Amino acid sequence: MTPDLSLEIAGIKFNNPIMTASGTCGYGEELADIFDLSLLGGIVTKSITVQPREGHPPPRTAECESGMLNAIGLANVGVDKFIDEKLKFLEKYDTRVIVNVAGARLSEYVDICSRLNYCPRADMVELNFSCPNVEAGMEIATDAALAEKAVAEVKKVFPGPVMAKLSPNVTDITAIASACEQGGADAVSLINTLVGMTVDIETRQPRLTNNTGGLSGPAIKPVALAAVHKVYNKVRIPIVGIGGISNYRDVIEFMLCGASAVQIGTALFVEPDAPVKIIKGLKKYLSQHKLGSIKELTGQVRLHK
Amino acid sequence: MSRIVVENARIIKMRNPGRDFHVMTIAPFSKIKSIKPGQFVHLKIPQCRVYFRRAFSVYDFNPENKSVDIIFRVCGRGTSVMAKLGKGDEIDILGPLGNGFRLPGKSETALLIAGGVGMPPVYLLAKKLLEKKYNPENIFFFYGANSRTELVDINHIKKLGVQAIVSTLDGSSGYKGLITGAVNKWLKSHDGKRIIYACGPEGMLQAVDNLASVNKIPGQLSLEAPMPCGVGICLGCIRPLKSGGYTRVCRDGPVYDIGEVLL
Repeated sequence: MTPDLSLEIAGIKFNNPIMTASGTCGYGEELADIFDLSLLGGIVTKSITVQPREGHPPPRTAECESGMLNAIGLANVGVDKFIDEKLKFLEKYDTRVIVNVAGARLSEYVDICSRLNYCPRADMVELNFSCPNVEAGMEIATDAALAEKAVAEVKKVFPGPVMAKLSPNVTDITAIASACEQGGADAVSLINTLVGMTVDIETRQPRLTNNTGGLSGPAIKPVALAAVHKVYNKVRIPIVGIGGISNYRDVIEFMLCGASAVQIGTALFVEPDAPVKIIKGLKKYLSQHKLGSIKELTGQVRLHK
Repeated sequence: MSRIVVENARIIKMRNPGRDFHVMTIAPFSKIKSIKPGQFVHLKIPQCRVYFRRAFSVYDFNPENKSVDIIFRVCGRGTSVMAKLGKGDEIDILGPLGNGFRLPGKSETALLIAGGVGMPPVYLLAKKLLEKKYNPENIFFFYGANSRTELVDINHIKKLGVQAIVSTLDGSSGYKGLITGAVNKWLKSHDGKRIIYACGPEGMLQAVDNLASVNKIPGQLSLEAPMPCGVGICLGCIRPLKSGGYTRVCRDGPVYDIGEVLL
């Protein structure tokens, strides 16, 4: 029996739980030179804003122990070009397209999502409430009432499922997750990057022009797992786990802690074909453990009493 | 059909051509038929605490045993570990990446300018031109380094049969001074339809860019930038363009027309 990797989130069927995380796969074109995007459960696009953005000046990335810091600054082509060109490219593939949306204020999220309403292949939107490198993102990310309102407003204009991407840079991530659920979110994805800093001791200058950046990669995996676990115990909507996932074992860990699906991010920068290897690994794991479906893993961590 | 391949290969040869320079031969890069001069490979260094891959211009590609040669100089955490690797060690190779050089017209005199460890893509270009039956008398290979011992594999370049002109800062071989000084001197006594190809340190590229615009000679420069992903998805290796906006060195480059990038 071939193990079943498929799952549903808010009525949308995914071929498997592997998505590529926003900002780590562009709009798919580059990765399509390396593997068939139809192998993916879903692809989450780079954050889209109303106007195109060039992003921050270089250096925007810095290598760290077990990961990286980035301050790209939401560089993207803007919603018009995204719909006209980038979304068209993705339509060729048998995978779910999740459009990540970012705004400087609530009205911008609403503006973009109402335009995506007319795009049948925008299967889902993910609201980037948590970009640590632009000011406005953080406001919604850290204010439960504002997050709830933002989700509710977007739900009014976008007919498909809405997922809110949560920041770990908050006192209580479960409060924000609950607020998003209250606002009508169909799913939450977590975690975004942790605010970090690194300094060149010779020049005494931060290695990023933005001074601080978002930490990602294997370094943040334990933080992400704990956050997923806490949120799983708080909300009823599905959770998409993100944070340092590099191999199929990491995926299983996230699912045991409560994730229904996951996103692969920074690992793509080191292993651009990581999703291919991960999907193979998951199938093998399910077979070895005599599991018929990957769904059986979600939330099945056995806690110590 | 995938254009870019990720493959777990092995080091089949390590050679030390002097000082802290190393030539590493990796094989097999089995699904690759050819590599353009100026393209690079992204290596995942085993037994190393650096997180990202490291990018190296292709020095040579042997289609028979599918082996790739790169040259590196020990300069940081990644290359220090690489220097300790040897024959038989596994190494994960990703590529070929980047755009590569555009070949000149047959009637053009090609000025190939290499500085230090910027030599490999320029060498591969010279080799490609000869394979394509370009006249070696119209290929001038300028190679500059700090000192004679840093003119890595100069005998390989001379063996190609192209017109080799070297410079060293300490005067231990060839023209004493910067390679752009040697190029400038050459330009004064050679005219006709010329085209420049260059790879080397930032200062050299700026000087070449300047020389080219003063003498109205077209050409291409191969740039370097720290590259997290190498395939165009992280947006980390960007450089500003003269026309505004940014370019991704790994994907849109690393080879650019002279005058295109703000140096």
